[in-house]
Amino acid sequence: MKKIIFLAVFAIVSLSAYSYSIAGQNKDLQNALSVQYAKNISDASSKLRDLDEAVKKTLLFNEGKGDLEAREDIWRLSSDIQQSVASLPLDQRFSTTWMNYLGRLGKFSKEGDERTDPAEFHKVMDRASENIESLSDQWSIATADMASGNLSMAEWQDRLDGEKATFDWKGLSASIQQYTESDFPLTASESDALKKKELKHIKDPKVSKEEALSKFKKLFPDVSKQVIDTTESKPGAAYPFYHIRFADQDSIGYIDITQKGGHILSFLTERPAGLGKMELESVRARVETFLKDSGYTDVVYEEVRENDTAFHFVYTRVEKMHQAKVLSDTIQVKAAKEDGRILGLNAAEYIRKEQLKDQPMIKINWKTFFHQNVKVNKQDLVYVENEHGIQRLAYALTVTLEENEQVGTYVVLVDTETKDVIRTEKQA
Amino acid sequence: MNKTVRTLLIGFFLFAGIQLSISIDSHAFTDRELAKGTKGDDVIELQARLQYIGFFKGKIDGNFGYQTYWALREFQEKYGMPIDGIAGSKTKKKLTSVSSYDKKFVMDNINKGKEFTHYGGKPLSSQVKGGTAVKKPNTQVPSKYSGDDLKLLANAVYGESRGEPYEGQVAVAAVILNRIEHPDFPNTVGGVIFQPGAFTAVSDGQIWLEPNERAKEAVIDAMNGWDPSENAIYYFNPVTATSKWIWSRPQIKKIGMHVFCD
Repeated sequence: MKKIIFLAVFAIVSLSAYSYSIAGQNKDLQNALSVQYAKNISDASSKLRDLDEAVKKTLLFNEGKGDLEAREDIWRLSSDIQQSVASLPLDQRFSTTWMNYLGRLGKFSKEGDERTDPAEFHKVMDRASENIESLSDQWSIATADMASGNLSMAEWQDRLDGEKATFDWKGLSASIQQYTESDFPLTASESDALKKKELKHIKDPKVSKEEALSKFKKLFPDVSKQVIDTTESKPGAAYPFYHIRFADQDSIGYIDITQKGGHILSFLTERPAGLGKMELESVRARVETFLKDSGYTDVVYEEVRENDTAFHFVYTRVEKMHQAKVLSDTIQVKAAKEDGRILGLNAAEYIRKEQLKDQPMIKINWKTFFHQNVKVNKQDLVYVENEHGIQRLAYALTVTLEENEQVGTYVVLVDTETKDVIRTEKQA
Repeated sequence: MNKTVRTLLIGFFLFAGIQLSISIDSHAFTDRELAKGTKGDDVIELQARLQYIGFFKGKIDGNFGYQTYWALREFQEKYGMPIDGIAGSKTKKKLTSVSSYDKKFVMDNINKGKEFTHYGGKPLSSQVKGGTAVKKPNTQVPSKYSGDDLKLLANAVYGESRGEPYEGQVAVAAVILNRIEHPDFPNTVGGVIFQPGAFTAVSDGQIWLEPNERAKEAVIDAMNGWDPSENAIYYFNPVTATSKWIWSRPQIKKIGMHVFCD
């Protein structure tokens, strides 16, 4: 009996000590997190005041150069506040609208003197200044006392969560949404990007579910015998499509086909990987025959990546005017290493075919354009989207540079008309 | 007597030398052509041999990228061969005849995750850097992503959707990648995944479970462009979702237990 009592007491004491230690650890963790949140709130508040000041400074000048420093400050501060906002457990609606507003403000400010005439820039900044001041006030009210860092996790949740908080986060989100629409309405190119997403330019007639199925069976006879079901996209989809799921022998997967014209958006199948290994060249030949037979006749090979069980190929559309590759119109194909079978096809970007315009091509002396240590290895013509979302004809230069005894490879895209560098990509 | 001993000794060392050279070079290339984009043990051998004779100065990792491509072209140019940056049978034969490859040394160091080089003319033992490093997977992903992005995404996909069909796992990875491009979200993989309250797997710690190969494969497909969610930036499980707001988002498609929305 004594032994049992001793064991019970020992167990209770041990458990209590363990629980006490765990509770202590949890308390420490909560304190650390609380301090982090408090720091981010404090950072965001102080940077919001700086941002307000920087926006006001831009109103002092007429010419773009005068407010250069202030515009750079806006770009930096808006990005910093975005980071602070992203790391706080804020109401999701508020967080997304706030991030969007800050992103647009930073971008507008950075591009200010290139894109907008000074009067228009002044007008937008004037409105933004008023709105940021109001936001700054609201933020101060909402986060009052939070920077003390003395809140428990539950208290943080109660103060920042849209459903639980006494502060009207929903109302503030709605205000920011209005500010975004008034200060930074969608530009023409952004609207174009959205239209592209909606695939509005596809004027093809609607295909029936049966026609979509028949296309699937024709292109992928190996896996299309056992279709599980065919459903339509939900009403919220930007473009309507059929979603077909299949499970045939050892393969299971899906294919999405647009309702307008019956174009393949994407196809992907999963199956156990076998042991065989086909040569890259043989698999590539098989992929290219498949693409040709499927009607993708205006694409050229771009690159391949080999992984454990499959090759991922990329093909790019070539336009007729300059024989330039359209970098936004690509097709990806996944093929099994085992037997070269097509495991996946992604043509969502290809079927959105970009609208292209001709443009002048000036000659550029690459010897003076690049530093003397840079070697130009290859030059192509491509169409690429610039930072304003417009398709531009560009020289694509594959260049190399000695870096710490190794060879660094870069692809540099230079606008053929303005000589602007649209993009520089380091290659693996 | 002395002469006989000397002859025997010379004969012995010659034989031993030949045996040693055979043992080092016994692992010749596979038959397949090696071009940019390929990976594997034969690419490791290609890089090691090119490094042995000073053409390749990059890291021996088994991925045929631009570093290997330029080194191979330089080798082909120097030995008067057609310059195409592809290791076909003639190139491999020539390379084998002018270089050495210590497979054991190279593979041991790769398997241990050590940093090392394989230059000829200096002892291999002096070409291994001290300390232990983390062995990184030699998976090939588009250049805008890193191996660390792949690892973190695989953790998130496994934690969020391991019971879902493969299509649903690719879709979850695609949603994370779509958020990086979207102005309302942070612009890095880590920023999106660790945004407070964004993913249940982060809140309940399931993100730290070791992901399986299926989750990794799903991430590789999403990184390569597949998006079964059709441009979604949110998803939720209608059975367990507590937020009323998520129901207000325009819904695109349902995969397994998840509804994907804009």
